Amino acid sequence: MTRLMAVLAVALFLASSAAAQGPRVATPPAGALVGPSIGGPVDSTVPPSVPIEPPTPDLVVDLSLARVSITSAFQGESILLFGMFDPPGEIVVVVAGPAGRETVLRKQRFLGLWLNTGRQAFDDVPAYYAIAASQPLQRLLARGAGGEILSLDDRLSSVRSFGQREHQDLIRFRLGLVEVKRREGLYPAAIGQVTIQAGRLFRVDLPFPSRLPEGVYEVRTYLLRDGKIVAAVSRPLPVAKEGFSAQLAGWAVNEGPLYGLGAILMALVAGWLGGAIMRRL
Amino acid sequence: MEIYLPIAELSMNVFVLLGLGAAAGLLAGMFGVGGGFLATPLLIFVGIPPAVAVASQANQVIANSVSSLQVQWRRGNVDFRMGLILLLGGLFGSTAGVWLFTYLKRIGQVDFVIAVAYVVMLSTIGVLMLVESLRTYVRRRRNPQAPRGKLHTHYLVHRLPLKLRFYKSKLYISALLPIGIGFVIGVLSAILGVGGGFVLVPAMIYILGMPTAVVIGTSNFQILFVAANVTFLQAATNGTVDIVLALLLILGGVVGAPIGSRLAAKLPGVVLRGMMSILILAVATELLTELLRTPSSLYSLGTREVMP
Repeated sequence: MTRLMAVLAVALFLASSAAAQGPRVATPPAGALVGPSIGGPVDSTVPPSVPIEPPTPDLVVDLSLARVSITSAFQGESILLFGMFDPPGEIVVVVAGPAGRETVLRKQRFLGLWLNTGRQAFDDVPAYYAIAASQPLQRLLARGAGGEILSLDDRLSSVRSFGQREHQDLIRFRLGLVEVKRREGLYPAAIGQVTIQAGRLFRVDLPFPSRLPEGVYEVRTYLLRDGKIVAAVSRPLPVAKEGFSAQLAGWAVNEGPLYGLGAILMALVAGWLGGAIMRRL
Repeated sequence: MEIYLPIAELSMNVFVLLGLGAAAGLLAGMFGVGGGFLATPLLIFVGIPPAVAVASQANQVIANSVSSLQVQWRRGNVDFRMGLILLLGGLFGSTAGVWLFTYLKRIGQVDFVIAVAYVVMLSTIGVLMLVESLRTYVRRRRNPQAPRGKLHTHYLVHRLPLKLRFYKSKLYISALLPIGIGFVIGVLSAILGVGGGFVLVPAMIYILGMPTAVVIGTSNFQILFVAANVTFLQAATNGTVDIVLALLLILGGVVGAPIGSRLAAKLPGVVLRGMMSILILAVATELLTELLRTPSSLYSLGTREVMP
């Protein structure tokens, strides 16, 4: 019965916010709300580090889009995350891209010219990392977050480095990695604002840049009480090219030679026709 | 209006790309060069990854060359014999160049090599051309009735074996010379994403001693096939040709090229060469300051590898 009430409350909250936000916020189908992924007490997606103290408070989360589709018109995407929780508490949302190996290159002046001389590879680096919270993070995490990784610094301190390098230098490379990722908009420096309404409903806009690496992202929502995680819900968010872009990228990777011939033919036809037409004018 | 480029993996303004294509086309029509030497650095500047910029630019060069070749062919300005010999060297050179490019990409020095190669090539050619055209200009102004002098002087290179007669170019020289030039252009074409016209045109005029009238048509002929070879190899080995990007550049170029050739028809050769040398030097200076200036960020990322 309480679950039904919760669903109704979220739906109402959404309807009101959709009206206020105009057409940008897509109202999800009602079915999405009653799926099996609703954060119940025995949700399998809850990380094991969450204390299993009965009773675990309710935390229900959903996204306005089930996936990010990179089409020809893709310019970045804004996804609405919303849900409700058993008060009291604060909400922190962490969006992490797929982990991979990144190689950081460092320039150095050599005979007056700047060239890449240093390189350092890191494993298990998230392609994307963004955080949103209902309160400034320092305040929320003052007493430690119960072992869960939350801030970017915490996350990056766990990446594995290759080779042997002095500790101080390694830190400089890691800072360099953050600097580049930040410039590309993949590690946004600003913490998103989670708004809490009526003490139990929350929502946050998650903006994604246009230069978004593909893969399955993970959206984790934490409920914090007194600086401790008391509930967590994780939702996968696939990011993939779709339609014409996906087709072209697929050909380029799988059918390289054929794609090359197609490109040549396209250029020949376009150049010939274009030239012929322009000379008539 | 933004469009997502599927291989470059970012979205970009359509009109910026069309404009870039038009500028490259204008140069192609005016000087018989692909305009790649200007467009590739600009593409990298607006944020396209260098590997994708170079490969897609080669694709656009095909269209540019075919469209200029149409005109030159009709005017009978193509020396096919010379073109084929140049092409022979060009195909070997571009194949070697794509290998070199793949290797440089792996060791993470591709950006640096591209920049240095550009600076060296552009400044050498720019200075040579500027000096030559100024000298010609001054001489003609002083004494307009002066005889043209010998068609070309004989250097050591003219004693090489395998001599061939090139009727259209009025030349009797060793085939090794155009093959060598073609090879160098091919390598440049592959690693710099240029047709190589800005090197080929001066080389044909000053090293081979070809008459200016047939230079543009013949260089277009050779560039067309070398660019096609580079496009194919880049697509097959590196997968970095972005058709959407190339198509936008081509559409811009189609508009720019005829305007360029009409302008070129109205200007004397010396003035054209002088203008081109100044443009080349400007691009070289800009790239050199880029290499010398302390960068805003010391760090950059190599290719990302997805973990299993």
